[in-house]
Amino acid sequence: MRFSKFLKVEADIVVARHALVMDETKSKAEPVIFLHPEFAKRSGVNDGDVVEVEANGRIVKLKVKLSDKAPESGGVIPNGIYASYLTNFDGFKRFKANIEVSEGELTSVEELLGKIKS
Amino acid sequence: MIMICPGCSCLCDDVYIKEGKVFNACRRGKEIFAKYNENRAVARVDGREVDVDTAIEKAVEILKEAKNPAIYGLDTTVVEAQKIAIDVAEKLNGYIDDNSSFCLGELVEAVLKGEMPTTTLDEVRDNAYVLVYWGTNPYHSLSRHLSKYTYYPRGKKRPRGYDEDRFLVVVDVRRSETAVLAKKNARFIRVDDDAELVDSFVKVVEGKAAKYAKDAGVIINEMKRADFNVIFGGLGLKYGLKDLNQFKEMVKKLNEVAPVYFIPAGFHGNMRGFNETLFERVGHVNKYSFRDGKSDEEFAFTELLKNEKIDAALIVGTDPVYSLPFEVSSKLGKINTIVVDPRMSFTARIADVVIPSAISGVEAGGTMVRSDGVRVKLEPLEEKEVNDVYILNKIKEGL
Amino acid sequence: MALNPMDIYKLLPKTNCKKCGEATCMSFAFKLLNREKKLEDCKPLYEDKKYERQRKKLEEMLKPLEEATETGLIVDESLCTGCGNCVVVCPVHVEKDPKGAAVGNGPTIDDPILRVEDGVVKVINMQACRRYGKNRVLCVVCRENCPSDAIRFLEG
Repeated sequence: MRFSKFLKVEADIVVARHALVMDETKSKAEPVIFLHPEFAKRSGVNDGDVVEVEANGRIVKLKVKLSDKAPESGGVIPNGIYASYLTNFDGFKRFKANIEVSEGELTSVEELLGKIKS
Repeated sequence: MIMICPGCSCLCDDVYIKEGKVFNACRRGKEIFAKYNENRAVARVDGREVDVDTAIEKAVEILKEAKNPAIYGLDTTVVEAQKIAIDVAEKLNGYIDDNSSFCLGELVEAVLKGEMPTTTLDEVRDNAYVLVYWGTNPYHSLSRHLSKYTYYPRGKKRPRGYDEDRFLVVVDVRRSETAVLAKKNARFIRVDDDAELVDSFVKVVEGKAAKYAKDAGVIINEMKRADFNVIFGGLGLKYGLKDLNQFKEMVKKLNEVAPVYFIPAGFHGNMRGFNETLFERVGHVNKYSFRDGKSDEEFAFTELLKNEKIDAALIVGTDPVYSLPFEVSSKLGKINTIVVDPRMSFTARIADVVIPSAISGVEAGGTMVRSDGVRVKLEPLEEKEVNDVYILNKIKEGL
Repeated sequence: MALNPMDIYKLLPKTNCKKCGEATCMSFAFKLLNREKKLEDCKPLYEDKKYERQRKKLEEMLKPLEEATETGLIVDESLCTGCGNCVVVCPVHVEKDPKGAAVGNGPTIDDPILRVEDGVVKVINMQACRRYGKNRVLCVVCRENCPSDAIRFLEG
């Protein structure tokens, strides 16, 4: 039983380039968030979990990877369409988000493109 | 054949391709060469595939009919194409801007105006002692920055390289990969508010107490030991400080006690080229309105979009749908968009007109400007006729 | 996952029986790590049933030895960004390639130890590494300057 399922936690998000998940051909984007292992542990999130990340009233579902290079009070979202969807210019490279363990499909690029086009 | 890698503003000049393998380029650089044929753009008008000339004609029509057109992007193309793009903006009496208006444009401008002393990466390699990386994690954004130009290489006056002849400082809100490298002869400063550290450097020079007095004191003492020190500032610095003037003042203050140079660290292959090209032409580095004859915050592409001040955009070699906040990018769907890009970018997928172009540095030659202002000539592996210069010239003639 | 001789030693019989040709089990542990001895050289471990559990643990523990290069260097390409720090810091490169790797460029010598190929570091010529052969030294400079753990050594 994982009680964390019902808990939302606040996280500090840093948006940064990540050479391992960048696509120079501009064809795809990886729906991933790198959480600090300590933060993940405290929040009941595991490596490989799907999490809902909410900021500025917008939500994306991302896959969790652990990284000790992330901020201890949260994580890094690689710059790209997922980070861009959540952020505003006020907190372009650094913002607060709510994170919650979730299930189901990760947010697809097509879904976000649809929202931009509509 | 030795190639220049157009992947980022390092413009590495020792990359070569042999027997189908890319040598010396970092992971991102290699992708540009190895995957040059993937996800290529196709000419489109309103979702229908057309030939390139039809797409260009449609683009001209949209721009001619637009009341308030803007040209945006241009940071991955060559100076030669940037010049024509500026001509197009002038002819349209419209706006022109690039990524630098929300990236490091302000810092490049300060350097071009001589508000901060600057130097080249080659000089850094040969002479620099204290290297400060502030709000940037080059390990991911400019992967070879430390190994090729700054911390690790042996230089003329620094024959032992990082071993003994350099002092590395990393300032960040998190312990990034670059921060991990700050071990011996080094300092990692974790900041929450960059302004407090800026203030501390100023105060320590003035002999006053400050929050980071200890860290700043150690670093200033190291700087005093050398006749050449340099600060690299990235997006974390830009967004960590409300007012970059504080930072410029700090650099000035530090120079009272030791020579300290500044080089912007970040951005696309030829962003600085755009800044310099526009600066030469109109005296400003970005967000320029030919109609108003000036540069202003409100003319930044992102502001124009957000405030619904434009009705058409010509987007060259950049992908705003990928990189801009939703509140801005979502407005792109409401105006006429023309995308000129070698790739079927995210923006191309929602654009009204797509004009496929050549990859600068791989299929088109020309000049790019490195992050430190050094001009580099790029030779293509194979020349493609329809490149940014060709397309922009056609548009210019058509107007 | 770093291997150290103490952890190996703890699982050996610790009887200093000398059947492997070494004076002590500790010295055997060192030789195992350096791949100068094989686990099978420890006869009691295989002959005496009471060591079976320890033997299985050791076999598991020593598995990475097979994947590693002859100097114990392990490269995980999936973690490498091709930054080239390892290529530039390598003391052998600095000495042999003063115009290439030593000053930050890609190697200009034909047989560098490490080279960035297709965006990730590859081991080209392990024999030139200071960790190789009789007069080896336990140099870890390349690993120390790899911030993503793409480079590791068996011993840590």
